[in-house]
Amino acid sequence: MRQRGFIALSVAVLTLLAISLTGIAVAADMKMVGVVTKIELADKDAKTATVALKDNKTGQSVVIVINDELTLDKLKDHRIVEGDEIRCKYEVVEGKNVSTYFRKTAGC
Amino acid sequence: MKSNKVMTALLLGMLVASAASAKEHPGKEFIEQNGYKGPVTCEECHPGKTREFLSTVHWKHASRVTNVEGIDPQKEYGMKNRIYTMCNGNDIVNNLKEIPVNPQTGKTKITGCNTCHPGNHLSDVGSAGSEAESAVDCLVCHSSSYDFTKRKPFKDAQGRVVMGQDRSVKAAASAGKPAVKNCMVCHESAGGGVLVKRGFSYTKENDVHAAKGMVCVDCHKAANHKIPTGFDPNNWANDGVRVACSDCHGEKPHKEQAYNSHTARIACQTCHIPRNGGAIAKDFTKWEQLADKFYEPATIQGDVRATIPVYAWYNLQVKNSPEFIGPKGSRKDKKSKIYPFKVFQGKAFFDKKIRQLMSMDFAPPMATGDALAGVASAAKTLGIKNYEPTPGWQTLYFGSNHLVTKSGALTCTSCHGISGLLNFKALGYSDKEISRLTSPEIYFKKVLEKQKEDW
Repeated sequence: MRQRGFIALSVAVLTLLAISLTGIAVAADMKMVGVVTKIELADKDAKTATVALKDNKTGQSVVIVINDELTLDKLKDHRIVEGDEIRCKYEVVEGKNVSTYFRKTAGC
Repeated sequence: MKSNKVMTALLLGMLVASAASAKEHPGKEFIEQNGYKGPVTCEECHPGKTREFLSTVHWKHASRVTNVEGIDPQKEYGMKNRIYTMCNGNDIVNNLKEIPVNPQTGKTKITGCNTCHPGNHLSDVGSAGSEAESAVDCLVCHSSSYDFTKRKPFKDAQGRVVMGQDRSVKAAASAGKPAVKNCMVCHESAGGGVLVKRGFSYTKENDVHAAKGMVCVDCHKAANHKIPTGFDPNNWANDGVRVACSDCHGEKPHKEQAYNSHTARIACQTCHIPRNGGAIAKDFTKWEQLADKFYEPATIQGDVRATIPVYAWYNLQVKNSPEFIGPKGSRKDKKSKIYPFKVFQGKAFFDKKIRQLMSMDFAPPMATGDALAGVASAAKTLGIKNYEPTPGWQTLYFGSNHLVTKSGALTCTSCHGISGLLNFKALGYSDKEISRLTSPEIYFKKVLEKQKEDW
């Protein structure tokens, strides 16, 4: 009887864990297309930047944290500037929208 | 003992100093003292290099092409004048210019295929002479501090469209061997968007060469500004010099003879580039409105590594028809090897009268979404008066030459397994041969040994 209780508790804990992990997975899949309205970059050696994107669908401003070297470099030498349209994926980490994919929609 | 330590410290110091100075452009001080006046400053130490550059594909956007069927080997072809469905425009019909006003916003913009040309647009694709020489933007390829806000098209006092350049002392002082970003600023944006055309990202996560710290020009090693390229069936223009994996790795690069026995008929890329990416299909007959109210051709985009290559025999000769541009070759042709290709399909207008693909000036459809207005504008530029535009699809095979992996390369079972990647039937093998090629007999012992080693 005691063993059954332990199994039931384990199943419940595992289920909750699975649900919470699924929740994280969903959060990791945020996508948007929006126009750059503001870029904040501390200096040329900055290891992080924040970019405000105006969501094309909702019109809302979403602040994205950029940590990857490639995108930071594009911000530093102005290959990405205000007014550019961006296709972005981000995950919410400790309340911040951290970019996992950040590319201009336009090309040549 | 103490003197040894001092000596070591001195030597280390010298090494660090020499490494730092190796990165610094030797002419930095001269440039800082005298200012940067464009190519004329570069020519102080690199005489003749500007004129030399004017004869290359990067300036001409074209060259003679000898491996593509149905074209004149005496004429030059490339981005300048090609008509196909990855870029349905070209430098001629879709020249950099101010597009018509968007009726909803009243706004216009300056755009065109030759945005990436390293001149100032007044001296444009294929131009020559002293004016062209002074227009070369050396720093867009050679500076690590180029400010791209300055490389924007604008209209000058005479109403001419000019491409801006960063000719600052800061940019010039950091001149040197082109870094990855110098190449990728244009090459990753080709085809109408980031990683659309060839769909590869040259980063340490995506390519074993990048992971080793190599840059583009380590393989595409230029001599006299002529940059070696491979034999991508849809990269026609070339400087007459070629690059191949075997240039560095040799013809028998593996420790295992079983792998080396494949190299005569299987290209390196086939096993070492198991994925590709970029645009899958694009419709130039249907333009979609964006947030800024301008229009772009509808595109289905795949991410980096999103797609599996199509494998085909290729003898480095190119079949070129209105419906298909891709590899020629066969199993019987001993010059052919099996290569991986990124397949793209594009829809555009064909001239029903002559069964040829038509080109498009993007300016009208970009402003209003009217694709046929773009065809009409291009036809006018080319002097074509009688035509009957009808939509149709074209299939393009692009070479898969980047996203190279060692650890993720294909192994025996990837192809010889019963559900392997290679379509042996389509590649010209008989049922009996296929039965032998997909029997575990062919790989079992080797894979079993490898399995034991791994575990």
